[in-house]
Amino acid sequence: MILKVENISKAFGKNKVLKNVSFEMNSSLLYGIVGENGSGKSTLLKIIVGEWKPDHGNILVEGRVGYCPQKTLLFSQLTVDENLKYFAAAYEMGNAELFSRSESLMNVFNFKKYRKERIANLSGGTQQKLNLAISLLHQPKLLILDEPYNGFDWDTYLRFWDYTNQLRKEGCAILVVTHFLAEKDRFDKVFNLEEGELI
Amino acid sequence: MNANRIITALIMILRMLLRRRIILIALLVIPVVFLTIVELTAPTRFIPFRLASLDTSVLIRESLKKIALIFFAVTSSGFLVSLLALNLIQIENDVNRRLVICGYNPFELLISNLLALLLMILTIAVYIGLLVSAFVSVMHLPMFIFGLMLIGFVYGCYGLAIGSLIKGKLEGVFFIVMLANIDSGWLQNPMYYAEAHNNVVIRYLPAYFPSQSAIIAAFTDFSGTWPRFYSILYGTGFLILALLIFYNKMRIKK
Repeated sequence: MILKVENISKAFGKNKVLKNVSFEMNSSLLYGIVGENGSGKSTLLKIIVGEWKPDHGNILVEGRVGYCPQKTLLFSQLTVDENLKYFAAAYEMGNAELFSRSESLMNVFNFKKYRKERIANLSGGTQQKLNLAISLLHQPKLLILDEPYNGFDWDTYLRFWDYTNQLRKEGCAILVVTHFLAEKDRFDKVFNLEEGELI
Repeated sequence: MNANRIITALIMILRMLLRRRIILIALLVIPVVFLTIVELTAPTRFIPFRLASLDTSVLIRESLKKIALIFFAVTSSGFLVSLLALNLIQIENDVNRRLVICGYNPFELLISNLLALLLMILTIAVYIGLLVSAFVSVMHLPMFIFGLMLIGFVYGCYGLAIGSLIKGKLEGVFFIVMLANIDSGWLQNPMYYAEAHNNVVIRYLPAYFPSQSAIIAAFTDFSGTWPRFYSILYGTGFLILALLIFYNKMRIKK
Protein backbone atom coordinates (compact mmCIF):
# COMPACT_ATOMS: atom_id res chain seq x y z
CA MET A 1 0.00 0.00 0.00
CA ILE A 2 1.44 3.36 -1.07
CA LEU A 3 -1.39 5.72 -0.17
CA LYS A 4 -4.19 5.38 2.34
CA VAL A 5 -6.88 8.04 2.50
CA GLU A 6 -9.08 7.67 5.60
CA ASN A 7 -12.41 9.48 6.08
CA ILE A 8 -11.31 12.80 4.63
CA SER A 9 -13.78 15.65 4.99
CA LYS A 10 -13.35 19.25 4.00
CA ALA A 11 -15.72 22.20 4.01
CA PHE A 12 -15.33 25.82 2.93
CA GLY A 13 -17.82 27.66 5.07
CA LYS A 14 -21.13 25.82 4.73
CA ASN A 15 -20.08 24.19 1.46
CA LYS A 16 -19.03 20.58 2.19
CA VAL A 17 -16.56 19.83 -0.61
CA LEU A 18 -15.43 16.37 0.58
CA LYS A 19 -17.51 13.96 2.69
CA ASN A 20 -15.75 11.02 4.37
CA VAL A 21 -13.63 10.09 1.38
CA SER A 22 -11.63 6.87 1.85
CA PHE A 23 -9.55 4.81 -0.57
CA GLU A 24 -6.19 3.06 -0.92
CA MET A 25 -3.60 2.92 -3.68
CA ASN A 26 -1.06 0.20 -4.40
CA SER A 27 2.09 0.17 -6.51
CA SER A 28 2.06 -0.62 -10.24
CA LEU A 29 -1.52 0.53 -10.67
CA LEU A 30 -3.05 3.46 -12.52
CA TYR A 31 -5.99 5.12 -10.76
CA GLY A 32 -8.35 7.70 -12.10
CA ILE A 33 -10.57 10.18 -10.31
CA VAL A 34 -13.41 11.36 -12.48
CA GLY A 35 -16.07 13.86 -11.66
CA GLU A 36 -17.70 17.02 -12.83
CA ASN A 37 -16.30 20.49 -12.25
CA GLY A 38 -16.59 21.39 -8.58
CA SER A 39 -16.97 17.77 -7.43
CA GLY A 40 -13.96 18.10 -5.09
CA LYS A 41 -11.24 16.42 -7.22
CA SER A 42 -8.60 19.14 -6.94
CA THR A 43 -9.39 19.69 -3.26
CA LEU A 44 -8.77 16.02 -2.58
CA LEU A 45 -5.41 16.13 -4.37
CA LYS A 46 -4.36 19.27 -2.52
CA ILE A 47 -5.12 17.53 0.75
CA ILE A 48 -3.18 14.42 -0.28
CA VAL A 49 -0.04 16.43 -1.10
CA GLY A 50 -0.37 18.51 2.07
CA GLU A 51 -1.24 21.85 0.50
CA TRP A 52 -4.49 22.01 2.44
CA LYS A 53 -5.43 20.50 5.78
CA PRO A 54 -8.52 18.30 5.99
CA ASP A 55 -11.19 19.07 8.61
CA HIS A 56 -11.31 15.37 9.49
CA GLY A 57 -9.45 12.21 8.50
CA ASN A 58 -5.91 10.99 7.86
CA ILE A 59 -3.56 10.53 4.93
CA LEU A 60 -0.81 7.92 5.01
CA VAL A 61 1.85 8.04 2.27
CA GLU A 62 4.78 5.68 1.67
CA GLY A 63 7.73 6.98 -0.30
CA ARG A 64 8.31 10.01 -2.50
CA VAL A 65 5.36 11.88 -3.96
CA GLY A 66 5.30 13.70 -7.28
CA TYR A 67 2.56 16.30 -7.76
CA CYS A 68 1.56 18.03 -10.96
CA PRO A 69 -0.93 20.81 -10.19
CA GLN A 70 -3.69 21.74 -12.61
CA LYS A 71 -2.32 25.26 -12.96
CA THR A 72 1.22 25.57 -14.37
CA LEU A 73 3.27 26.71 -11.38
CA LEU A 74 6.67 27.76 -12.75
CA PHE A 75 9.02 30.71 -12.27
CA SER A 76 8.24 32.85 -15.30
CA GLN A 77 11.51 34.81 -15.27
CA LEU A 78 13.66 31.67 -15.14
CA THR A 79 14.54 29.36 -18.03
CA VAL A 80 13.43 25.74 -18.38
CA ASP A 81 16.83 24.52 -17.14
CA GLU A 82 16.78 26.93 -14.19
CA ASN A 83 13.29 25.82 -13.15
CA LEU A 84 14.39 22.19 -13.26
CA LYS A 85 17.49 23.02 -11.20
CA TYR A 86 15.46 24.94 -8.61
CA PHE A 87 12.99 22.08 -8.12
CA ALA A 88 15.83 19.53 -8.14
CA ALA A 89 17.25 21.41 -5.13
CA ALA A 90 13.87 20.99 -3.42
CA TYR A 91 14.08 17.23 -4.09
CA GLU A 92 17.73 17.22 -2.90
CA MET A 93 18.96 15.77 -6.20
CA GLY A 94 22.63 15.90 -7.18
CA ASN A 95 23.83 17.50 -10.42
CA ALA A 96 24.47 14.18 -12.19
CA GLU A 97 21.02 12.85 -11.34
CA LEU A 98 19.41 16.14 -12.36
CA PHE A 99 21.24 16.09 -15.68
CA SER A 100 20.25 12.52 -16.60
CA ARG A 101 16.63 12.89 -15.43
CA SER A 102 16.03 16.25 -17.09
CA GLU A 103 17.60 15.07 -20.36
CA SER A 104 15.39 11.98 -20.31
CA LEU A 105 12.18 13.92 -19.54
CA MET A 106 12.91 16.64 -22.09
CA ASN A 107 13.34 13.91 -24.70
CA VAL A 108 10.16 12.08 -23.70
CA PHE A 109 8.02 15.21 -23.84
CA ASN A 110 9.98 16.81 -26.66
CA PHE A 111 10.86 20.23 -25.27
CA LYS A 112 14.65 20.07 -25.14
CA LYS A 113 15.02 22.82 -27.73
CA TYR A 114 13.41 25.28 -25.31
CA ARG A 115 15.73 24.57 -22.39
CA LYS A 116 17.40 28.01 -22.49
CA GLU A 117 14.12 29.89 -22.98
CA ARG A 118 12.41 31.79 -20.18
CA ILE A 119 9.01 30.40 -19.18
CA ALA A 120 7.30 33.70 -19.98
CA ASN A 121 8.28 33.19 -23.65
CA LEU A 122 6.94 29.62 -23.94
CA SER A 123 3.56 28.42 -25.22
CA GLY A 124 1.00 27.09 -22.73
CA GLY A 125 1.54 23.53 -23.95
CA THR A 126 5.31 23.67 -23.46
CA GLN A 127 4.85 25.18 -20.01
CA GLN A 128 2.54 22.30 -19.16
CA LYS A 129 5.15 19.77 -20.34
CA LEU A 130 7.64 21.30 -17.91
CA ASN A 131 4.98 21.45 -15.19
CA LEU A 132 4.56 17.69 -15.60
CA ALA A 133 8.30 16.98 -15.94
CA ILE A 134 8.96 18.68 -12.58
CA SER A 135 6.59 16.27 -10.84
CA LEU A 136 8.48 13.33 -12.41
CA LEU A 137 12.00 14.62 -11.86
CA HIS A 138 12.79 12.76 -8.62
CA GLN A 139 11.28 9.41 -9.73
CA PRO A 140 8.41 9.36 -7.22
CA LYS A 141 6.74 6.20 -5.98
CA LEU A 142 3.38 7.95 -5.91
CA LEU A 143 2.41 10.30 -8.71
CA ILE A 144 -0.53 12.68 -8.32
CA LEU A 145 -1.55 14.38 -11.55
CA ASP A 146 -4.30 16.98 -11.74
CA GLU A 147 -5.48 17.15 -15.38
CA PRO A 148 -1.85 16.97 -16.52
CA TYR A 149 -2.40 17.10 -20.28
CA ASN A 150 -4.21 20.45 -20.53
CA GLY A 151 -2.83 22.18 -23.62
CA PHE A 152 -1.00 19.11 -24.97
CA ASP A 153 -1.11 18.42 -28.70
CA TRP A 154 -2.30 14.96 -29.77
CA ASP A 155 1.21 13.52 -30.14
CA THR A 156 2.26 14.68 -26.65
CA TYR A 157 -1.03 13.43 -25.22
CA LEU A 158 -0.27 9.93 -26.55
CA ARG A 159 3.34 10.14 -25.31
CA PHE A 160 1.98 11.07 -21.90
CA TRP A 161 -0.15 7.89 -21.69
CA ASP A 162 2.73 5.72 -23.01
CA TYR A 163 5.05 7.14 -20.39
CA THR A 164 2.44 6.73 -17.64
CA ASN A 165 2.07 3.08 -18.54
CA GLN A 166 5.84 2.67 -18.47
CA LEU A 167 5.99 4.20 -14.98
CA ARG A 168 3.24 1.86 -13.82
CA LYS A 169 5.25 -1.14 -15.03
CA GLU A 170 8.24 0.20 -13.08
CA GLY A 171 6.20 0.09 -9.85
CA CYS A 172 4.84 3.61 -9.60
CA ALA A 173 1.30 4.21 -8.30
CA ILE A 174 -0.37 6.90 -10.35
CA LEU A 175 -3.48 8.93 -9.64
CA VAL A 176 -4.83 11.01 -12.50
CA VAL A 177 -7.65 13.48 -12.13
CA THR A 178 -9.75 13.99 -15.23
CA HIS A 179 -13.22 15.10 -16.18
CA PHE A 180 -13.13 13.14 -19.45
CA LEU A 181 -15.25 10.04 -18.93
CA ALA A 182 -13.88 8.66 -22.22
CA GLU A 183 -10.53 8.06 -20.49
CA LYS A 184 -12.04 5.64 -17.95
CA ASP A 185 -10.75 2.61 -19.87
CA ARG A 186 -7.14 3.67 -19.43
CA PHE A 187 -7.27 3.17 -15.66
CA ASP A 188 -6.93 0.02 -13.55
CA LYS A 189 -9.36 1.51 -11.08
CA VAL A 190 -11.64 4.52 -11.30
CA PHE A 191 -12.98 6.57 -8.41
CA ASN A 192 -16.07 8.55 -9.24
CA LEU A 193 -16.38 11.69 -7.15
CA GLU A 194 -19.85 13.19 -7.00
CA GLU A 195 -20.57 16.19 -4.81
CA GLY A 196 -17.69 15.32 -2.51
CA GLU A 197 -18.50 11.61 -2.13
CA LEU A 198 -16.77 8.63 -3.70
CA ILE A 199 -19.27 6.51 -5.62
CA MET B 1 17.91 23.49 6.86
CA ASN B 2 20.01 22.77 3.80
CA ALA B 3 22.77 25.17 2.65
CA ASN B 4 22.62 23.94 -0.95
CA ARG B 5 18.91 24.71 -1.17
CA ILE B 6 19.43 28.19 0.33
CA ILE B 7 22.26 28.98 -2.12
CA THR B 8 20.26 27.67 -5.11
CA ALA B 9 17.23 29.73 -4.08
CA LEU B 10 19.40 32.82 -3.55
CA ILE B 11 20.93 32.50 -7.04
CA MET B 12 17.51 32.03 -8.64
CA ILE B 13 15.96 34.94 -6.71
CA LEU B 14 18.79 37.26 -7.80
CA ARG B 15 18.43 36.13 -11.41
CA MET B 16 14.68 36.79 -11.33
CA LEU B 17 15.26 40.17 -9.75
CA LEU B 18 17.91 41.26 -12.24
CA ARG B 19 15.73 40.19 -15.15
CA ARG B 20 12.99 42.63 -14.17
CA ARG B 21 14.23 45.70 -15.98
CA ILE B 22 11.66 48.05 -14.49
CA ILE B 23 13.00 47.33 -11.00
CA LEU B 24 16.57 48.05 -12.02
CA ILE B 25 15.54 51.24 -13.77
CA ALA B 26 13.57 52.38 -10.69
CA LEU B 27 16.54 51.64 -8.43
CA LEU B 28 18.88 53.67 -10.61
CA VAL B 29 16.58 56.54 -11.54
CA ILE B 30 14.52 57.32 -8.40
CA PRO B 31 17.45 58.47 -6.20
CA VAL B 32 18.89 60.57 -9.03
CA VAL B 33 15.50 62.25 -9.62
CA PHE B 34 14.93 62.87 -5.88
CA LEU B 35 18.36 64.37 -5.31
CA THR B 36 18.38 66.44 -8.51
CA ILE B 37 15.04 68.02 -7.61
CA VAL B 38 16.35 68.86 -4.13
CA GLU B 39 19.56 70.27 -5.60
CA LEU B 40 17.58 72.49 -7.97
CA THR B 41 14.94 73.68 -5.51
CA ALA B 42 16.25 73.71 -1.92
CA PRO B 43 17.39 77.05 -0.45
CA THR B 44 21.03 77.44 0.55
CA ARG B 45 20.67 79.50 3.74
CA PHE B 46 22.10 78.09 6.94
CA ILE B 47 19.89 77.20 9.89
CA PRO B 48 20.56 75.76 13.35
CA PHE B 49 18.84 72.53 14.44
CA ARG B 50 19.00 69.86 17.13
CA LEU B 51 19.11 66.09 16.69
CA ALA B 52 16.74 64.15 18.92
CA SER B 53 19.19 61.42 19.87
CA LEU B 54 21.94 63.87 20.86
CA ASP B 55 22.19 66.05 23.92
CA THR B 56 19.91 69.12 23.76
CA SER B 57 22.93 71.45 24.09
CA VAL B 58 24.26 70.23 20.72
CA LEU B 59 23.21 72.67 18.04
CA ILE B 60 24.12 71.90 14.45
CA ARG B 61 24.32 74.62 11.81
CA GLU B 62 23.94 73.49 8.22
CA SER B 63 22.49 74.68 4.91
CA LEU B 64 18.89 73.73 4.20
CA LYS B 65 20.01 72.22 0.90
CA LYS B 66 22.46 69.87 2.58
CA ILE B 67 19.91 68.83 5.20
CA ALA B 68 17.35 68.15 2.48
CA LEU B 69 19.81 66.11 0.38
CA ILE B 70 20.81 63.93 3.32
CA PHE B 71 17.21 63.52 4.41
CA PHE B 72 16.00 62.53 0.92
CA ALA B 73 18.87 60.06 0.57
CA VAL B 74 17.63 58.35 3.74
CA THR B 75 14.01 58.45 2.57
CA SER B 76 14.69 57.07 -0.91
CA SER B 77 16.88 54.30 0.49
CA GLY B 78 14.13 53.09 2.86
CA PHE B 79 11.37 53.45 0.30
CA LEU B 80 13.20 51.58 -2.48
CA VAL B 81 14.27 48.71 -0.27
CA SER B 82 10.79 48.22 1.19
CA LEU B 83 9.25 48.09 -2.29
CA LEU B 84 11.91 45.63 -3.37
CA ALA B 85 11.26 43.45 -0.33
CA LEU B 86 7.54 43.47 -1.04
CA ASN B 87 8.21 42.43 -4.62
CA LEU B 88 10.57 39.65 -3.49
CA ILE B 89 8.16 38.09 -1.06
CA GLN B 90 4.93 38.49 -3.04
CA ILE B 91 6.01 37.57 -6.54
CA GLU B 92 5.51 33.93 -7.64
CA ASN B 93 4.05 33.07 -4.23
CA ASP B 94 2.13 30.07 -5.61
CA VAL B 95 5.30 28.66 -7.16
CA ASN B 96 7.15 29.10 -3.88
CA ARG B 97 4.39 27.07 -2.26
CA ARG B 98 4.95 24.34 -4.83
CA LEU B 99 8.64 24.38 -3.88
CA VAL B 100 7.62 23.82 -0.26
CA ILE B 101 5.39 20.90 -1.27
CA CYS B 102 8.37 19.46 -3.19
CA GLY B 103 10.65 19.66 -0.13
CA TYR B 104 11.83 23.21 0.56
CA ASN B 105 11.50 24.41 4.13
CA PRO B 106 9.67 27.79 4.26
CA PHE B 107 12.53 29.13 6.41
CA GLU B 108 15.04 28.23 3.67
CA LEU B 109 13.05 30.29 1.18
CA LEU B 110 12.71 33.22 3.55
CA ILE B 111 16.42 33.15 4.40
CA SER B 112 17.24 33.16 0.67
CA ASN B 113 14.93 36.13 0.19
CA LEU B 114 16.54 37.88 3.14
CA LEU B 115 20.06 37.27 1.80
CA ALA B 116 19.00 38.63 -1.60
CA LEU B 117 17.51 41.63 0.18
CA LEU B 118 20.69 42.23 2.21
CA LEU B 119 22.73 42.26 -1.00
CA MET B 120 20.31 44.77 -2.52
CA ILE B 121 20.37 46.88 0.69
CA LEU B 122 24.16 47.05 0.48
CA THR B 123 24.09 47.94 -3.22
CA ILE B 124 21.40 50.61 -2.82
CA ALA B 125 23.08 52.15 0.25
CA VAL B 126 26.49 52.36 -1.45
CA TYR B 127 24.93 53.75 -4.64
CA ILE B 128 22.86 56.42 -2.86
CA GLY B 129 25.70 57.24 -0.45
CA LEU B 130 28.13 57.86 -3.29
CA LEU B 131 25.49 59.75 -5.24
CA VAL B 132 24.84 62.11 -2.31
CA SER B 133 28.55 62.66 -1.80
CA ALA B 134 28.66 63.92 -5.39
CA PHE B 135 26.18 66.67 -4.39
CA VAL B 136 27.44 67.54 -0.89
CA SER B 137 30.31 66.69 1.42
CA VAL B 138 29.33 64.07 4.02
CA MET B 139 31.33 64.16 7.24
CA HIS B 140 31.64 60.39 7.77
CA LEU B 141 30.71 58.72 4.51
CA PRO B 142 31.19 55.03 5.55
CA MET B 143 29.03 55.50 8.65
CA PHE B 144 26.48 57.47 6.64
CA ILE B 145 26.28 54.57 4.16
CA PHE B 146 25.87 52.25 7.14
CA GLY B 147 22.97 54.45 8.26
CA LEU B 148 21.41 54.04 4.80
CA MET B 149 21.85 50.29 5.16
CA LEU B 150 20.05 50.43 8.49
CA ILE B 151 17.04 52.27 7.07
CA GLY B 152 17.11 49.70 4.27
CA PHE B 153 17.18 46.88 6.79
CA VAL B 154 14.31 48.25 8.89
CA TYR B 155 12.14 49.15 5.92
CA GLY B 156 13.15 46.01 4.01
CA CYS B 157 12.01 43.82 6.89
CA TYR B 158 8.81 45.89 7.09
CA GLY B 159 8.30 45.17 3.37
CA LEU B 160 8.87 41.45 3.99
CA ALA B 161 6.32 41.49 6.83
CA ILE B 162 3.73 43.36 4.76
CA GLY B 163 4.35 41.10 1.74
CA SER B 164 3.94 37.99 3.91
CA LEU B 165 0.75 39.31 5.46
CA ILE B 166 -1.01 40.82 2.44
CA LYS B 167 -1.61 38.95 -0.80
CA GLY B 168 -2.67 41.86 -3.01
CA LYS B 169 0.13 43.81 -4.68
CA LEU B 170 -1.72 47.12 -4.67
CA GLU B 171 -2.64 46.84 -1.00
CA GLY B 172 0.99 45.99 -0.16
CA VAL B 173 2.29 49.01 -2.07
CA PHE B 174 -0.29 51.18 -0.32
CA PHE B 175 0.92 50.13 3.15
CA ILE B 176 4.53 50.80 2.18
CA VAL B 177 3.92 54.15 0.52
CA MET B 178 1.74 55.25 3.43
CA LEU B 179 4.34 54.50 6.11
CA ALA B 180 7.35 55.64 4.06
CA ASN B 181 5.61 58.88 3.20
CA ILE B 182 4.49 59.72 6.73
CA ASP B 183 7.44 58.33 8.66
CA SER B 184 10.71 58.57 6.74
CA GLY B 185 9.42 61.11 4.20
CA TRP B 186 7.96 63.61 6.64
CA LEU B 187 8.10 63.09 10.42
CA GLN B 188 11.79 62.17 10.57
CA ASN B 189 12.86 65.34 8.78
CA PRO B 190 14.96 67.16 11.42
CA MET B 191 13.33 70.43 10.38
CA TYR B 192 9.85 69.11 11.18
CA TYR B 193 10.93 66.95 14.08
CA ALA B 194 12.60 69.77 16.02
CA GLU B 195 9.33 71.71 16.24
CA ALA B 196 6.94 68.75 16.68
CA HIS B 197 4.66 68.86 19.75
CA ASN B 198 4.52 65.12 20.33
CA ASN B 199 7.90 63.86 19.29
CA VAL B 200 7.52 60.80 21.55
CA VAL B 201 5.28 59.32 18.84
CA ILE B 202 7.92 60.02 16.21
CA ARG B 203 10.58 58.23 18.26
CA TYR B 204 8.63 54.97 18.05
CA LEU B 205 8.28 54.98 14.28
CA PRO B 206 10.52 52.62 12.24
CA ALA B 207 12.60 55.28 10.48
CA TYR B 208 13.54 57.16 13.66
CA PHE B 209 16.70 55.30 14.73
CA PRO B 210 18.17 54.69 11.24
CA SER B 211 17.47 58.32 10.23
CA GLN B 212 19.20 59.56 13.38
CA SER B 213 22.11 57.23 12.74
CA ALA B 214 22.58 58.46 9.14
CA ILE B 215 22.12 62.16 10.00
CA ILE B 216 24.54 61.99 12.97
CA ALA B 217 27.18 60.46 10.65
CA ALA B 218 26.54 63.04 7.94
CA PHE B 219 26.70 66.17 10.14
CA THR B 220 28.56 65.45 13.37
CA ASP B 221 31.50 63.66 14.98
CA PHE B 222 29.25 62.11 17.61
CA SER B 223 28.88 58.38 17.97
CA GLY B 224 25.62 56.89 16.69
CA THR B 225 26.02 53.55 18.44
CA TRP B 226 22.66 53.52 20.20
CA PRO B 227 20.56 54.54 17.19
CA ARG B 228 22.38 51.85 15.19
CA PHE B 229 21.72 49.25 17.85
CA TYR B 230 18.03 50.13 18.10
CA SER B 231 17.71 50.15 14.30
CA ILE B 232 18.95 46.56 14.15
CA LEU B 233 16.59 45.67 16.98
CA TYR B 234 13.63 47.30 15.22
CA GLY B 235 14.41 45.61 11.91
CA THR B 236 14.83 42.25 13.63
CA GLY B 237 11.36 42.65 15.15
CA PHE B 238 9.85 43.09 11.69
CA LEU B 239 11.93 40.19 10.42
CA ILE B 240 10.67 37.83 13.13
CA LEU B 241 7.11 38.91 12.35
CA ALA B 242 7.71 38.24 8.64
CA LEU B 243 9.25 34.84 9.42
CA LEU B 244 6.26 33.77 11.50
CA ILE B 245 3.65 34.91 8.98
CA PHE B 246 5.54 33.48 5.99
CA TYR B 247 6.12 30.15 7.73
CA ASN B 248 2.48 29.87 8.74
CA LYS B 249 1.30 30.59 5.19
CA MET B 250 3.82 28.36 3.44
CA ARG B 251 4.05 25.30 5.65
CA ILE B 252 2.41 22.15 4.38
CA LYS B 253 -0.42 20.87 6.53
CA LYS B 254 0.55 17.27 7.26
